[in-house]
Amino acid sequence: MIAALRSGMMGGRLSGLLLVALPVALLIWLVLWPVLQAMVGTVYFPGTGFSTASYAYFFTDDYSLRNLWLTLWVTALTSVLRVTVAMPIALYLRFRTGSVAALVQALALFPMFVPSVLVAYAFIRVLGPNGIVDTVLVALHLPKLMSPYLTPAGPIIGLVWDGLPLTLLLLLSGLGRVSIASVDAARDLGAGSWTLFTRIILPRIQSSIIVTLAFNVLGLFSAFTLPFLLGPASPEMMGPYMQRTFSDNADPLNATTQAVITFAFCAAFGLIYVRAIAKGRKGPA
Amino acid sequence: MNRREFLMAGAAAGLVASTRFAAAATRLDLYTASDANISDFFNNVVKPAFEAANPGLELNVVIARPAAALDAVVQRAFAALSTKSDPQLDIIEQYEPMLPNGGIEAGLWTDFQKAGLANYGAVNKLAIQTAYGLPYRGSQVLLAYDSTKLPRDKAPKTFADLAAWIKANPGQFIYNRPDKGGSGGNFINRVVHEVSGRDPLKFKVDNYTQASADEVLAKAWAVLNDLAPSLYEKGAYTSGNSASLQLLAQGAVTMIPAWSDQVLQAIAKGVLPETTGLVQLTDLALCGGFSQAVVPTNAAHRDAALKFADFMLSQEMQTAVIEKLGGFPGVDWSNLPKALHDKYADVIPSSIPTFPSGEWTKAVQDGWYRNVAPNISRT
Repeated sequence: MIAALRSGMMGGRLSGLLLVALPVALLIWLVLWPVLQAMVGTVYFPGTGFSTASYAYFFTDDYSLRNLWLTLWVTALTSVLRVTVAMPIALYLRFRTGSVAALVQALALFPMFVPSVLVAYAFIRVLGPNGIVDTVLVALHLPKLMSPYLTPAGPIIGLVWDGLPLTLLLLLSGLGRVSIASVDAARDLGAGSWTLFTRIILPRIQSSIIVTLAFNVLGLFSAFTLPFLLGPASPEMMGPYMQRTFSDNADPLNATTQAVITFAFCAAFGLIYVRAIAKGRKGPA
Repeated sequence: MNRREFLMAGAAAGLVASTRFAAAATRLDLYTASDANISDFFNNVVKPAFEAANPGLELNVVIARPAAALDAVVQRAFAALSTKSDPQLDIIEQYEPMLPNGGIEAGLWTDFQKAGLANYGAVNKLAIQTAYGLPYRGSQVLLAYDSTKLPRDKAPKTFADLAAWIKANPGQFIYNRPDKGGSGGNFINRVVHEVSGRDPLKFKVDNYTQASADEVLAKAWAVLNDLAPSLYEKGAYTSGNSASLQLLAQGAVTMIPAWSDQVLQAIAKGVLPETTGLVQLTDLALCGGFSQAVVPTNAAHRDAALKFADFMLSQEMQTAVIEKLGGFPGVDWSNLPKALHDKYADVIPSSIPTFPSGEWTKAVQDGWYRNVAPNISRT
């Protein structure tokens, strides 16, 4: 294989194409083809022709729109919260070394290895009614917690914790581009921490933040387990709503319509991600 | 024989043995869409007993949750019937034999009356709804409550009492979303029965019409919306049967609707304390039913499937249904040891109303999400 790669320009190109052929074929077969099928299947009906009735229904149905709206704002809020929570940890890990930093890193990355069903049940045990937090509060003669379980705050707290590791890793890789020398130089010139962050660090990691947000949005849009187990019955996020429409209502047409609409939003964020990557390739901003 | 030869000979022998076993055992594909307690029961109790009693037969428990996934499997079997191909399905542990529409007429399901099961005569006559379904276990939704907070003699016995109790004790009652486990679903069905004259027979698999549903369900939503502000968190609904049991176990609520088998199992395992009280409404019980096993006539291993059905009616398995599952037996109590009957006397139901699956259930579930679930006040 290595020999083939080195055997000249043409051969190199061919084996390069062969190397990407498998993932591209899988992408076409498992992603693009079903998407196309779904899009065509919701507007064209053999025998009766074109109809956009299911889309008209979605966008005139208050219940569906409430679900879409909830998904959008939970996604936006959770993405921003994840970056806000992960940023100080990332900065700390970038500029500090030692056993404490290693411990912080291990703790912050720990959620990556916990399945979300376990996160949900742990959440109920800890933050749920009469959970561990309540037990501690009562022991200290303090009033009980207003439990976020089954409220919109429930899935947001769960999702922030669950998604912290990925956000942290993406931000850390971005911060790798900030040289310690430039930070030290700015500090020697008398820059304070805030100035350092906004003038030196932030401009260098702008594209990383965009990539992080785009990744988060894509994952959150299709979140299922945590909103389903921790959130209120209604409004529903698009994941549980699609599942319910498809299986409980036995209504594949409307479920597919919801999926295409969800996909359209995700594709928009995908585009932002691709542009950020392309910009990053050209060189740091 | 040196080590290497020994290993190769061993591997060859193992290969021969494994292929021989695979060829010898007839694999029965049993499908279930029920909760994990049921699929665990089949895997851990029924499978070893059945395979020990029937050498050469292997039980393969296939979990097809939620119920709609099972619908797709049944559609496949129905299609296979017309093309005379293998439905890849030998028995379903629980399915509504009236579905799919036209299935019985086309001869999809086996008629158990004519199937020649040795134990069929023992089946509880009250449990037989149709000859195409074999009732082998029952369970019913009842109210489970914390008797340290609500004395047993004060527990509500009628729907009116229950509604009054919920309103007098705000935040102490919760039921789960109707499509995510039947305990909440059957509480809602009980409300539908309440507003339609407490006659469960009014609702049938084949008598759904939009107009009648709109009329009766509007009244049910009014009752449920009236109760909503008095529920846990002013109208929160858990995501399943076990999430409700968890809230009761944590002492966050005082009463929940629960499946009799799940709550009995939870008490037996210590998940719920001994002080958990159980009560059934006496004006009309909450819904429940007997699980009807069905066997497609075109099953590849139909004879073995019928052998299995007969095995489920045996005294050994029926005792296991009661003791291991907390369910009701499908056979008449007269066929079981008297000691068992006396032990479970307080949960043996006098009547089990049912609610039809299919269109009615769909209308209740989606209607609930649209008309009841959103009405929550966080203030």
